[in-house]
Amino acid sequence: MRKKPRFHSLKKLKVRQDWSRWSLYSLSQLKPPNTAMRTYFQQKWTAKSDTRAYHGEQIREKKWKRLFKRSIPAVVPMDHRYLARYDGSEQASGRGAGLDTEESQRTPPMTPYMQMTYYPIERRLDTAIFRSLFASSVRQARQFVVHGLVKVNGKKMPYPGYMLNPGDMFQVEPESVMFATGAPKTRSAFARRIAAEKKAALGDTRSNKPADDDEHDPTIAQLAAQIPRDEPTAADLKKHMQELMASVDEVLATEVKAKDKQKFREFRQSVKKAIALWKKANPETVSTLDAQFDFLKKQLAEKMDKDVGKSEDVGMSAEDQEKLKKAFEKLKEKAEYEATWNKKDSSKPYATPWRPRDYMSAFAFIPRYLEVNQNICAAVYLRHPVARPGLAEVPTPFSYETGQLAFNWYLRRR
Amino acid sequence: MAPRLRTSRLPSSVSPCSSSVPQCISVPACTSRAFSQTTSRQVTARRRKFYEWLNGPGRQLKDPLPGSTNYLGAYDRYGNLIRARPGYQRPSRDQAAKAQEEGAEKESEEKEKIPGGQDNVDELDMAARRDADSKDPDKLPPETEEDLRPFPLNRYFRSQPVLSEELREAIYQRVTRDGTTVSLASVEFGVSNERVGAVVRLKQMEKEWIAQGKKLALPYAKAVLDMLPTTPYVDPSLPENRGKRPIPHEPINDLIVHPATRQQLFVPVAESRQFTRVDAGKAFDNNLLPADERIPHPELVLAERELAAGLSFEERRRLAEERLAKEQAKKKAEEERKQAELAKLKTVPKRRWDFVFQDISVEHAGKDGRGPKGVGWRYGFPHEDRKKGQVKIPTKVEA
Repeated sequence: MRKKPRFHSLKKLKVRQDWSRWSLYSLSQLKPPNTAMRTYFQQKWTAKSDTRAYHGEQIREKKWKRLFKRSIPAVVPMDHRYLARYDGSEQASGRGAGLDTEESQRTPPMTPYMQMTYYPIERRLDTAIFRSLFASSVRQARQFVVHGLVKVNGKKMPYPGYMLNPGDMFQVEPESVMFATGAPKTRSAFARRIAAEKKAALGDTRSNKPADDDEHDPTIAQLAAQIPRDEPTAADLKKHMQELMASVDEVLATEVKAKDKQKFREFRQSVKKAIALWKKANPETVSTLDAQFDFLKKQLAEKMDKDVGKSEDVGMSAEDQEKLKKAFEKLKEKAEYEATWNKKDSSKPYATPWRPRDYMSAFAFIPRYLEVNQNICAAVYLRHPVARPGLAEVPTPFSYETGQLAFNWYLRRR
Repeated sequence: MAPRLRTSRLPSSVSPCSSSVPQCISVPACTSRAFSQTTSRQVTARRRKFYEWLNGPGRQLKDPLPGSTNYLGAYDRYGNLIRARPGYQRPSRDQAAKAQEEGAEKESEEKEKIPGGQDNVDELDMAARRDADSKDPDKLPPETEEDLRPFPLNRYFRSQPVLSEELREAIYQRVTRDGTTVSLASVEFGVSNERVGAVVRLKQMEKEWIAQGKKLALPYAKAVLDMLPTTPYVDPSLPENRGKRPIPHEPINDLIVHPATRQQLFVPVAESRQFTRVDAGKAFDNNLLPADERIPHPELVLAERELAAGLSFEERRRLAEERLAKEQAKKKAEEERKQAELAKLKTVPKRRWDFVFQDISVEHAGKDGRGPKGVGWRYGFPHEDRKKGQVKIPTKVEA
């Protein structure tokens, strides 16, 4: 059998969809096609082979040929003021009566349709993951999808060839993203041996003891199910509020940099319980911290209105509310702090503290058809990529002539 | 396009193995056999060139440039930053970290000066020119359009700015807390309709993650947003921003090129006739609406027309409210229709799955029994899902 050609070869420089130094080098050595000395077929062939090495190299040629479309989407930005003022008839008015003006109007820049040849490939899930900077190459993105680390609209999607629809949200496991985009770890032989020993020890303890994860971390729904549905009495409320206040005090007493997460976890639990006690909202509507805080405040206000005379001590005073708000903010800060605190951790598969991998900045761009939230490693595919005057949204490293030649290669009927 | 001026080869470049950037990528000892320790004699010319480039011009691209983008298009053949002033020295990694800690606030002020809606090239050039007055050689001027090219050969692609963290938060607050409609927020922030929706959806999810105590990928987010051009948020509530207008992120009134208009038409028209956009649309396709109605924000055109007609403020407001009421009524009717459709389904909850029953008529199969709406197995109408080449990948996932 013939030897498989090298993926990154210095003999035949190909730009690949990854963030490697070989890709960067071949990018820097890229030249416009030689149109003077070669036949049209040769030019087309070279253009096709170069562009296909970059665009959807993991897709078989036959499959790509079926994906190819000769009609390319484009948009024109409109000015609403112009549309309001003129109805379009002014362009022809007085033409025959000698009103032709020779003064050159500013022509809009050319719409680069031919750079959009490979736009159907940008719709694929693996390519979109690579384009939103969640993986360092398309092949890695594909692996993430196949390994079940990617969700589309909250459901696991194991097909890298899934064609995203406008409005689809996809999310990748943040740990994998950090691994893919972070600098690689260099491990010594000694560290590796220690890790192996630890792993063996952990395996022993696990095999001896059966796991019971269900006990910790009951969800809101479970909590809600445990608590009876009837209206809580005033005394109950009071007791509960006191508990909540106590945990607020505890939270405010701890410094953010304190190591124990215990108190914050307890506070979160107590808030959940307090919400579960007033059982009017379902857990979905109070899912964010802001919503939880507003909900508690509103419920308290209602209670105050209902029985002003009976028991004022149930409600919270203004300073208590302030305190509660502060505690909530601290909770938020804590969550963010934990994530930023980028400490050394040998158990991670990437170099810690995390830093971007080499040469990432040269490839870091996010096209406009994606909206990415890096904090949760999720992105929304807004629309299909389009060409607009002076700008093509498909990121392709090749010159306009190459794109034209490649388009013509696929245009021919065989 | 005019040829770019090259800054001098001498001062702005870091010499290939200077002390400020100590690590050099060494040419790996190329072994001739996998098991052999002896290095092969010949390092090929290509290999040598590759490592020469990596340690020379390519060295600048290895680490991100602090506070700026770092694309191939921003450098010339010799690895000099084209937009840098003569005495510019690239800050090393430690220096950059220190500077960031010290002047975090300063930076945020500076960032506001950089225009974000970089679709307007003139604006960019103006900003560059304005900034050129400041003479500090260590401070980089803002990127021009050409500096934002990750692929120097492709003149039609550039890295466009993304929304900054503050702008995303502002959009989310405006839509959820103040309850503005998506289209209004879109006009206000200069962000397209779909993007506003996406930002709100993603931000909502982020807040849920915080409430659940999940770990965010913050170091990654910070590093990536530092490498990308961003559209800053001009907070109108701050006193120093009084009178400033928000920086538009992208054009919001994009008209999709309709396939019917791809061809050229020659329509003879009487000279006396008023041939408007509506007529032009009809000439291409009978169902083609004029551009005023096909753009994402037709209400802007209406508002502008009313202004031009010289209506008073109260009058315009009344009309706008009427339009809003009409739209909301339409939306409500749609919602009710959906609810009614859902109510038609009969749901039987079970332990693990719910059974949903839908009324089906036999007539759906049609006269010849081959109608696409028909359900179940029908005689003479085989399932093709075991055939070769049938694609099983789902085409859509319900949100």
